[in-house]
Amino acid sequence: MKKLVIAAFLLAGFVPALAQEQAPKLYTLASPYERYTTYLVTARLTSAIPIGSFKNDYIDKTSFENYSISLEWVLQNSFSVGGEIGYSYFKQRLPRALYMSGDQTISAVQTRTVSQYPIQAFVNYHLLPKNSSIQPYVQLSAGGSILDYTVYYGSLADQKQKIRPTYGVGVGSKFLFKKDGSFGADVRVKYAATSFKYDYLTTGISSLNTSIGLFYRWW
Amino acid sequence: MLKKASFLIIFAAIWLTSCTKDPINDLTDLDSQVFITNHDKSIDFKQFKTFSIADSVIVVQDERSGTALTDLDKQMLSSIISKMQSQGYTYVAASSKPDVDLTVARITNTYLNVTSTPYSSYYGGYYGGYGYGYPSYYSYYETSESYWSVSMLDLKNANATTKTLNVVWNAQIRGSGLANTDYFSQMMDSIFGQSTYLKIN
Repeated sequence: MKKLVIAAFLLAGFVPALAQEQAPKLYTLASPYERYTTYLVTARLTSAIPIGSFKNDYIDKTSFENYSISLEWVLQNSFSVGGEIGYSYFKQRLPRALYMSGDQTISAVQTRTVSQYPIQAFVNYHLLPKNSSIQPYVQLSAGGSILDYTVYYGSLADQKQKIRPTYGVGVGSKFLFKKDGSFGADVRVKYAATSFKYDYLTTGISSLNTSIGLFYRWW
Repeated sequence: MLKKASFLIIFAAIWLTSCTKDPINDLTDLDSQVFITNHDKSIDFKQFKTFSIADSVIVVQDERSGTALTDLDKQMLSSIISKMQSQGYTYVAASSKPDVDLTVARITNTYLNVTSTPYSSYYGGYYGGYGYGYPSYYSYYETSESYWSVSMLDLKNANATTKTLNVVWNAQIRGSGLANTDYFSQMMDSIFGQSTYLKIN
């Protein structure tokens, strides 16, 4: 019993001492992610909901075949800049119907498609410090899209390929898996639009894109 | 580090662009078929009562043409005859001055296409070390299209001075399964169904 009391006293003295040793150091070095411009690469899977005239006149089916990869430089202020390339694909099949083309009447099963390879530069503004585990951001992006518009009438195709300007506005957040770690998840909701006028499309291709991604950062 | 990242981007670009899609490979034969009709809007088809049909099918293959009467052709001709009869026309011999004459053609065109693929050396995701020295690379591919073409000639209002017959109606049947006789009655339903002006009964 006595031994136990002594042990308790010893511990009582020792534990606070130990705690004191873990107390803030005179100066702690900030994480390299806060001290340097760092790199960050993100791969994303995206679902795209058509909106506006693109939805009303051409395709209203949500697409899940959208991928992208981006590389960014996380600057020492709240901004990061980078580039993103992606692939997006919309497809919708319509039951057999009659279409008029000039004086001709065409009966066909229509398959409507749009595929795009957008290549964009973007700027992110981060609302919280770089090393917080949740890092919300807003994004502006602009670039060019290599696009292919093909409408199939049965097995006959009407195709148009073009490079057209594209832009986007988004909000998102990064989530670090581990404090000060290299890996994390990225969630982003973005309005994306490409101007393109041809056939069924009167203004362009616009969609609301929700993506989930994984990122890796290094310095 | 930056170099590594750029390679990653380039590699991803190649990977992404190398995906090719065939959005219509899941179409059935019937769904792939396209029916295109055209007619002379100044003509009132109710003035026609009788028709004849050519006793063979015109076969057009690229620059050459001739006539044929295979089992397939016979089937096609008889499907057209019965469909015309159901529309109210009377089938008569060519010698008894029909109002309209129908001709059927089987057309096959083959095209040789050339395409330039300047980035072909990247196929296979090869980079680093030496690449291929081709400035650009040409490849050739052949496409062919086959279709049925049915035309209706106006014999009643033939222009005697210029000796011409007007085509007052034309239908093209394109797509897959064009030689499958099981589809013939559906093909007739389609081309006549979308040309309601042809019905005189």
